Amino acid sequence: MPTALPSARRELFSGLLFSAPAFILLSLIHIVPLLTLIALSFTDYELGALDVRWLGLDNFARAFSDPVFQRALRNTLLYVAIVIPGSVLLGLLIALLVHARKRTRSIYEVIYFLPVTSTLVAMATVWQFLLHPRLGPVNGFLKSLGFPEIAFLSEPSLVIPTLAVIGLWQMVGFNMILFLAGLSTIPRDLYDAAEVDGAGGAVDRFLRITWPMLGPTTMFVTVTTCITAFKVFDTVAVLTHGRGGSEVLLYAIYLEGFHYFKMGYAAALTLVFLAFILVFSILQARRMDRKVHYA
Amino acid sequence: MSMLKRTLIAAGALAAFAVPALAAEVKLEGFHANPAFARFHGPIAEAFMKKHPEIEVTYRATSPSYNEAHQQILRSAVTNELPDFYFSGYHLLPELVETLEKRDQIVDLGSFLTEEGEDFVTENYAPRMLALGQIEGKQWGLAFNASSPLMYYNADLVKQAGGDPENMPSDWESVMALAAKINTLGDDITGISYDVGTWPDDWLWQAALYQQGARLFDGEGDVAFGNEAGLKSLELFRTFVTDGGMQILDWNQSRQQFGAGKTGIFFTTPAHLTVITDMVGDKFALRTAPFPLDDKGEMSGVPTGGNAVVMLTKDEAKQKAAWEYIKFATGPEAQKIVVEMTGYLPTNLRTVETDYLGAFYDANPNYRTAIDQIDRSLPWVGYPGGQSVRVWNTQREIIAAVMRGEKTPEEGLEEMVQATSQMMN
Repeated sequence: MPTALPSARRELFSGLLFSAPAFILLSLIHIVPLLTLIALSFTDYELGALDVRWLGLDNFARAFSDPVFQRALRNTLLYVAIVIPGSVLLGLLIALLVHARKRTRSIYEVIYFLPVTSTLVAMATVWQFLLHPRLGPVNGFLKSLGFPEIAFLSEPSLVIPTLAVIGLWQMVGFNMILFLAGLSTIPRDLYDAAEVDGAGGAVDRFLRITWPMLGPTTMFVTVTTCITAFKVFDTVAVLTHGRGGSEVLLYAIYLEGFHYFKMGYAAALTLVFLAFILVFSILQARRMDRKVHYA
Repeated sequence: MSMLKRTLIAAGALAAFAVPALAAEVKLEGFHANPAFARFHGPIAEAFMKKHPEIEVTYRATSPSYNEAHQQILRSAVTNELPDFYFSGYHLLPELVETLEKRDQIVDLGSFLTEEGEDFVTENYAPRMLALGQIEGKQWGLAFNASSPLMYYNADLVKQAGGDPENMPSDWESVMALAAKINTLGDDITGISYDVGTWPDDWLWQAALYQQGARLFDGEGDVAFGNEAGLKSLELFRTFVTDGGMQILDWNQSRQQFGAGKTGIFFTTPAHLTVITDMVGDKFALRTAPFPLDDKGEMSGVPTGGNAVVMLTKDEAKQKAAWEYIKFATGPEAQKIVVEMTGYLPTNLRTVETDYLGAFYDANPNYRTAIDQIDRSLPWVGYPGGQSVRVWNTQREIIAAVMRGEKTPEEGLEEMVQATSQMMN
């Protein structure tokens, strides 16, 4: 019919009009910067420079032979390997313990959540003091047990594990709150039914009801922890400044872009970093999605 | 006539009066690194505006460090939003001038100085201070903050170890001998701390070379420390750890330790003098002495850290006003404010006159030490090729490894020379 066309077109037009604000905002905030980043990563752009050279894939080739970047990559993977299982399991454990409290529950919630609300820059001085090899209480305690002085933040082999412990301290409280929310959605009658069926022990109840019912929460917590752990930056920036070979991915990018002013190379490293996060998140989401039981 | 029309006319008449009054006023915008520096930049701007009510000086929000401030300036250069004047770290000045000169966004201060006359210059600025702001023969900046490394010491520990706090040794061998004795005073006492391996920039490394009369690179732009002086520096660093009991700590932690009275001899900038004095309080007798020099000859000295003020505005009226401000900020009155608040050494010759700081220095001898080595000031240089920050980050890791004993000084030196030459070209 000849009249159908204009009305279909009008519909198309109004549809586009309605989606335009979201589309424009999305392109301005995410897509245009990402395209700029990709374009920059093929050049040798330096901040303030008047001429720019096209390098092709040179920046990426350089990244994988750059000892600092490789060290940053290794450090980040080690950090992630400690922080993800640590903060998810600890978060769950604390949530289970806190959930069982009746009157004191809110006090424990506040205590464990405090590190999340404190700013690390302000806490950096405290950590530096706590971990001071000579003046700090941590070493004071270790010394009383007969250990020698340990320079947690300067000894190259200990720096990343130390930062990971601080990372745990920062993240456990947040994960605990998420698990608590997950725990409170589990219907009580499931436990009652299990008891009738003879699954009365705490371990039994945990393995058969709590753990499977927490599936969606666990997946969410793991993915967000993974992304946060990969983005580790503030502890390195304020506590070690990358000294003693403690660079992580974001810190290496920050050094290149904001201290050495090699914007092109920093852009290439950022793309590598984005690829890492993307791949890890997809893998994890996929693997866990198959196992998660959505009630 | 409607109400609206009347209001508009009244507003127009007011504006006509207001405009000439506004035009007579020049507004200047400055920028500096390090939030702590606002403590003296604020009062200096206020004192200036009292003298020059026709000029208004404001500061942009600061950046945490020289490097980040440099980056912000480069960003503003691209978008043409540069401040009218800026305080650049000496080591970044060559890179700043190189980038901004090409873009015609920085002003040579030479002509302004010439206009003031030779007497003015010789009265106010020592040649060594002027040299800090010169790049390839042109006066791009004027020294504003300056500091050279000082030897801080715990006079109580020095005395206990049999040393004389009134006559501290002035060469490294004797300093080390004293440090080794202090180190034996107790399990929790460290003899000496020289945090070159964790320092944010290569200031203390340059100091170790300069005090032997050596340099970082030669006239042709080749590494010049791949010799006896470089080796001696690294060996000295290692003995700090082996004989002096030094631990490789973050520089903040090291300062905390000295402040707690657990370190005998400690090296840092006079800019920390006020902070450390407050930290020490009555815990022990804090003293300062000049940086030890093995070579007492002409070439020997100490690198000067700090920043120089540069003019970035293109507007002629603003340039005139900015020059007034620069003169004031590097003048005796403003320098007095800086010295009293920090311990930096004054960059203006007249500051030590009795009218300004004479009495202050007599009452606070610890502050005077920086002045006593002022004629030893050498420029704190950046590497050709504009990669100074990267060069230092690489060198620092090697130095720290040597200090920990993971590499011999010979191996470390070879690696440093190789890595540095690569990055200089």
